[in-house]
Amino acid sequence: MTLLYSGLSLGAVYALVALGYNLVYLSSRAFNFAQAQLVMVAAFVAYTALVVFRLPWVVAALLAMAVLMVVAVIEERIALRLVTDHHTILITTLGFATLLDGAAERIWGSEALDVPFPGPEGAWSLLGGRLHTVDLALVLLAVLLVVGAHWYRRRFLSGIAIIGMSQDREAATLRGIDVRKLALITFAVSGALAGLMGAFVGPKTFALTTLGASMALKGFVALAIGGFGSLYGGLLGGFTVGIVEQVSARYLGAEFSHISVFAVLMLVLLVRPRGVFGRVRERVV
Amino acid sequence: MTVLWRAVRSVPPWVLATITGVLALCLPFLNLDYAVGRQIQLGLILALIVSGIGLSLGYAGQLALGQAAMYAAGAYSAGVLAIRGVTDVLVQLLVSGTAALLIGLLTGVIGLRLGAWSLAMTSFFLVLMIPDVLDVFESTTGGRTGLSGIPPGTVFGSVLTPRDFFLLIVVVSLLWFAVVRNIVTSRHGVAFQVLKESEVLAASTGVSVFRMKLIGYAVGAIPAGLAGTLFANLDLFLAPTSFGLHLATSTLAAAVLGGMVSVYGPLVGALLVQLATWQAADFQEWALVVYGAFLILGGVVFGGGIAGLVRRGIRALDRRFLPEPVTDDTGGSAAGVPPLPGEELVVDGVSKAFGGNQVLTGVTLRAAPGRVTALIGPNGSGKTTLLNLVSGFYTVDDGRLRLGEVELTGLPAHQVARRGVSRTFQTPLVPPVISVRETVAAGRYSADRVSIIGALLRGPRHRAVSRRDREQVRDLLDLVGLARVADAEASSLPLGQRRLLEVARAIASRPKVLLLDEAASGLDEQEVAVLARLLGQVRDAGCAVVLVEHNFGLVLSTADEIHVLARGRLIASGPPAAIEADDRVRNEYLGIADEASVGGVA
Repeated sequence: MTLLYSGLSLGAVYALVALGYNLVYLSSRAFNFAQAQLVMVAAFVAYTALVVFRLPWVVAALLAMAVLMVVAVIEERIALRLVTDHHTILITTLGFATLLDGAAERIWGSEALDVPFPGPEGAWSLLGGRLHTVDLALVLLAVLLVVGAHWYRRRFLSGIAIIGMSQDREAATLRGIDVRKLALITFAVSGALAGLMGAFVGPKTFALTTLGASMALKGFVALAIGGFGSLYGGLLGGFTVGIVEQVSARYLGAEFSHISVFAVLMLVLLVRPRGVFGRVRERVV
Repeated sequence: MTVLWRAVRSVPPWVLATITGVLALCLPFLNLDYAVGRQIQLGLILALIVSGIGLSLGYAGQLALGQAAMYAAGAYSAGVLAIRGVTDVLVQLLVSGTAALLIGLLTGVIGLRLGAWSLAMTSFFLVLMIPDVLDVFESTTGGRTGLSGIPPGTVFGSVLTPRDFFLLIVVVSLLWFAVVRNIVTSRHGVAFQVLKESEVLAASTGVSVFRMKLIGYAVGAIPAGLAGTLFANLDLFLAPTSFGLHLATSTLAAAVLGGMVSVYGPLVGALLVQLATWQAADFQEWALVVYGAFLILGGVVFGGGIAGLVRRGIRALDRRFLPEPVTDDTGGSAAGVPPLPGEELVVDGVSKAFGGNQVLTGVTLRAAPGRVTALIGPNGSGKTTLLNLVSGFYTVDDGRLRLGEVELTGLPAHQVARRGVSRTFQTPLVPPVISVRETVAAGRYSADRVSIIGALLRGPRHRAVSRRDREQVRDLLDLVGLARVADAEASSLPLGQRRLLEVARAIASRPKVLLLDEAASGLDEQEVAVLARLLGQVRDAGCAVVLVEHNFGLVLSTADEIHVLARGRLIASGPPAAIEADDRVRNEYLGIADEASVGGVA
């Protein structure tokens, strides 16, 4: 049970990264390579606010959201706005991710920093397994955000506009939707969410510069399992990856955790390349 | 100045490459300072890796981040072989190159199934797994502590001195760059460019998109494997830290800096990155920031890297000092169309729906060889969809497609193209960078095939095909009146000329059936006349011509048979005179109906 809990909470981290990928994908059909780095930076910002400035947790989380919103908007401006084709966006957002990696290492160093989390110290028991407050909080956050994003997308006009934009930019523009403004807003929102995620993820994983790459990859596997653009798929994919990782680390050895996740990715791509929840779309000339 | 520039331009490019190569071969004998020599060797090793990225990303358009993993695979296979007693570097090179190629093929086949992102991520994942895989095989690889005690390399039994080894690195690099040059200057290089610009176009010239991407990605892994062997023999010690994400990003940054759509750009980029790492003491600390900035800048501002800047500079000097050839209007010439024995295209009860939208319902028609069959109808009546079904870009829901006796139903686009169906597009698809001549030659990709190996070795078949390429392309350009602009960049031509260029490319593939999607829209009167004459010639050469067209005048004057589509159904078929007189056609298409648009641009 403890194993399942730790798998789920780690999986929630990947599900959150996958949610970030999905939001950007749904709004601009682009893949934001730097999504996980945004969460990584947010964890550092939360650390600085909590440990260096001794701010209350809520204020630290809000601060991380504000900072990351700005960072994400900068990313949209320099790495996406001026680039039109999706191949190049892959490179420029990878560039931004690398830049964030490097900058974070310059600012915060390459040591792992312990980000505190409110609530009782130590683990408590639930249904025969042990877990920390942050584990529960992470799973709840992931579920809530995904359900919220799904609801919002169905409910509001701008949600529908986002779907419209992701299907056909030109048509959306012609219907009076400001595509650029909407893309910018999506980035601001995904940045703010990354900020919030960082405040939850940091206490679980520590704030660490090398974390970005590994979170990016596991988040991507979550996305591949769930299918691009499927919000619930990404959530389930994240949990799957987390559990696979924990179980293989426990029974096969720590060196097999990455390898097992990679094997899952290969399997999904071989058997069901569109993901479990992805829809097949016919190519248009 | 003009004379000087003309003299410079008259030197063939291979002369410069040869001189550089000879100079490089002298390097080991110059008694360079140890540190300088080592940096050059490391730079060349890096250049091999970067060149693989260029092949994969620059030509095949596939972002491959796994080069560091292929490099590690090469290095460790060489190191382990050496420890087991196989110290011959040539054997090690063979093994490491093969190992890298296999990893490339395996991850490529699976990674490419979901498109560009998944290949990037799959290959990136390989890099993340390096330390873990090394740990799993700790007894052979030394795990995280590294692999030490590698004996020095030999060639045919004699131990290599540092100078010999330096020479070996130079020779391997030169050979590899020669290989890259031969691949990218062949028709396969053009096919890569076409593919990168438009997968649809590549498939319609008979290129298997999946296979071509896989080849670019997997062949791009080979030099990384070779570089691994060289690195293992240079340092005689391997540790997982040499093959991390840092290497992955630095090689990618070097590729972007040097320019990826270029043979020698990666070499320049790699040497510069190596120089920066060596000279700037603070560089290591800021390296990631700098690489990141390069990647963004490369994507946003200078897409072609240094090679692109050089290319642009040369073009500017050309414009300044070499007189522009006077472009003739599209006059066309008397050169005839070679015989194009056609086959009958049979569309039998074809239906197609997108979601709930029924686009075509039970369409049946035949296009006979040696005749022009026109397909007309209002916008949205399903004309282009029908062409896309025939070309294999969509699959039919119901009904069958045949070419003579050959079943086309269900074949992928490149297979349809290889069976003799050629087409043009509503919006001309003309890739940037390549010339008018190359664009037409791209059409010959499947008509007259040469393997990549053949092109690489410059074998007799490659030479023969290249000669035929030149001859036929010249004739076709004469035919459509574009001979004067043969060396211009194809995408810089005005719309009318691009349309004629597309027709020339389509004819170059020696089609049995030629599909033209609104070939006349955007053409001026003179160009329409050229097109009409051309269609007549192609028909007389025996090809079956299918013309989707809004220009009713052109249709009436050239078509032998006209089919009228409205709302996905055929409402009339017959010779021009009958169609012109048909009441339903007059209502639906020519006359008073709301959705009618005559002679307009779609």
